[in-house]
Amino acid sequence: MISLPRYFQSITKSIALFILLVSFNKLFAAEGGPCKDYGECDKFQYSLNDIESLQRGASTYINYCYGCHSLKYSRWGRVAKDLQIPEDIFFENLVFDKSIKPGDLMIGAMPEDSANWFGVEPPDLTLVSRYKGDDWIYSYLRAYYEDSSKQYGVNNLVYPGTAMPNVLISLQGNQRLVCKDVPVLARNGGEKRDDFGNTIFKEKCGFLEVQDGTGILSREEFDTLIYDLTNFLVYVGEPSKATRERIGWYVVFYFLIFTALSSLLYREYHKDYNK
Amino acid sequence: MTEIAGKLFTWINTRLPIVNTFERHLSKHPVPSKVNFWYLFGALAAVTLIIQIVTGIWLIMPYSNTEEQAFSSIEYIMRDVDYGWIIRYMHTTGASLFFAVVYLHMFRGLLYGSYQKPKELVWIFGCTIYLAMMAEGFLGYVLPYGQMSYWGAQVIISLFGAIPYIGESLELWVRGDYYISGITVSRFFALHVVALPLVLIALVFLHLVALHEVGAGNPEGVDIEEHLDEDGVPLDSVPFFPYKVLNALVAIGVFMTVFSIIMFFFPEGGGYFIEMANFQEANPLVTPDHIAPVWYYAPFYTMLRAIPDPLGGLIVMASAVAIFFIVPWLDRSKVASIRYKGIYSKIAITMFGVSFLTLGYLGTVGVTEVRKTMSVICTIIYFAYFLLMPIYTKYEITKEVPERL
Repeated sequence: MISLPRYFQSITKSIALFILLVSFNKLFAAEGGPCKDYGECDKFQYSLNDIESLQRGASTYINYCYGCHSLKYSRWGRVAKDLQIPEDIFFENLVFDKSIKPGDLMIGAMPEDSANWFGVEPPDLTLVSRYKGDDWIYSYLRAYYEDSSKQYGVNNLVYPGTAMPNVLISLQGNQRLVCKDVPVLARNGGEKRDDFGNTIFKEKCGFLEVQDGTGILSREEFDTLIYDLTNFLVYVGEPSKATRERIGWYVVFYFLIFTALSSLLYREYHKDYNK
Repeated sequence: MTEIAGKLFTWINTRLPIVNTFERHLSKHPVPSKVNFWYLFGALAAVTLIIQIVTGIWLIMPYSNTEEQAFSSIEYIMRDVDYGWIIRYMHTTGASLFFAVVYLHMFRGLLYGSYQKPKELVWIFGCTIYLAMMAEGFLGYVLPYGQMSYWGAQVIISLFGAIPYIGESLELWVRGDYYISGITVSRFFALHVVALPLVLIALVFLHLVALHEVGAGNPEGVDIEEHLDEDGVPLDSVPFFPYKVLNALVAIGVFMTVFSIIMFFFPEGGGYFIEMANFQEANPLVTPDHIAPVWYYAPFYTMLRAIPDPLGGLIVMASAVAIFFIVPWLDRSKVASIRYKGIYSKIAITMFGVSFLTLGYLGTVGVTEVRKTMSVICTIIYFAYFLLMPIYTKYEITKEVPERL
């Protein structure tokens, strides 16, 4: 029978030591996160079974992004099918070039000579959720702020100096960097108080704030819009992801049964030589 | 009907040694009756090799080995080929897990002295398999032609350039072009799918033939050939088939469960199995912020970086792999298993394990001053484990090995 070897103890110890070393190492090396000046990226939890969210995301993408950013590994018909949009409705409302067929790749609508309008060619975004991550996209699209020193009057905390203008500004409104009085934190993590028990405040800058009434959508509505858009980009980055996660359970379940049956069989045979 | 089948079988068997081979290598092949889980990774490595070969064959069909289409053909496999994504993820997960089980298999060898006389050749064939796997893995990683494929290949191929006198021409010869291009991709493709798999299969065959000649070891380090029954079969043995096959079947079940959890739920392995930057097509004009190898090369990559001089780094890295080949002659101990070796051996192998894991971790993160110092320390420990082995194994107090299992 498979017995835990005596050496197991030492192995456990070495693993513990390794974890200790790694955490020690982490302590000495704080690296800038992928979201740069924004700090920690906002966490994004995709929901690929929320077809309505994916449909809204696709519509936002095609209306606001597809003009510059192709999805050249993805096919029109596949998106319509996966997002459960009947092909006639899909092609009538979302595909503007009537010569496109369902099997065509979504190669974009940018004329070739305009590739350098923004100093760089707008990248293809089919796989952006895979090389940047969904957290990054979700944070990036919500981190634009007014900056008159830039060509398009905006800058981005997640991607400082980004070449892309804030395409969604009419929906979001003008976002600015503001300063706020925030409580000073004591060493124990609580708020620091003065001798009279009043919380001590200190001015801190770099907060994003939307000017009231400048955008069509409220803050929550805009966040939902970006959620749906990011969700769509997660889908388009790996269209089989939902299927993968669904059938994965069956495969794992199969191998668990397989393991159980084979170990019963093994135990039965094991009795032959080890009574 | 059965009579005809029987006759046919006899006809074949008199011309091809089916029964003989089956008995010699399976149903009558004696293996130690008591082993532990460390002895199951060899079988798992064989399973993974088969997975890699089968999925590899199916991946070749839609893959395109040209500069223009390599990257997009992978996306074609992931999107347009029916169940292409399953085959591709099996291959990427398989590659990482192949290394994982082989590392555990090798560590088992070090733990229980599986290289000691008369198993030197089994060990050497094994080390050669590992070497071939490293080449195979590297070549395969270049094929999707993503950013990490390109820049990883750039780093590795430039290592050849560090060799004095012939370096530059060698680099050019390997690359086939003045920079990494479609020519490089297509020759790496040929090597990855034909040349190295042939070498690997031949080496695995030799590894097994040599193993069956000298017999499998056990965690006690007992020579089971010392006590035989009247038929000359070791008393502490069981036939390989069905006993060990069933034992391996349980291991395969557990392994495939882990395999499917990774491949269906975490195919990128948190960026360690498929690096995020490799979802961007190769771009010779843009260097990624942080070039890191896949996890299974990371310990050696750290050693390379720990040495400031490129040639020195190359020598250290190559020696780190080469030193495995001479382990049978470095170990001077009277006993094979760590269970009966002395305290020095136990300390040495623990420190070796920790330094190897730390080197691996350091290879996947950026360089800082502290990390650089740590990588130098760990490299020294790594080599000390091997180079001091003749001393600490010879002069330590070992325990008495029992007669029987």
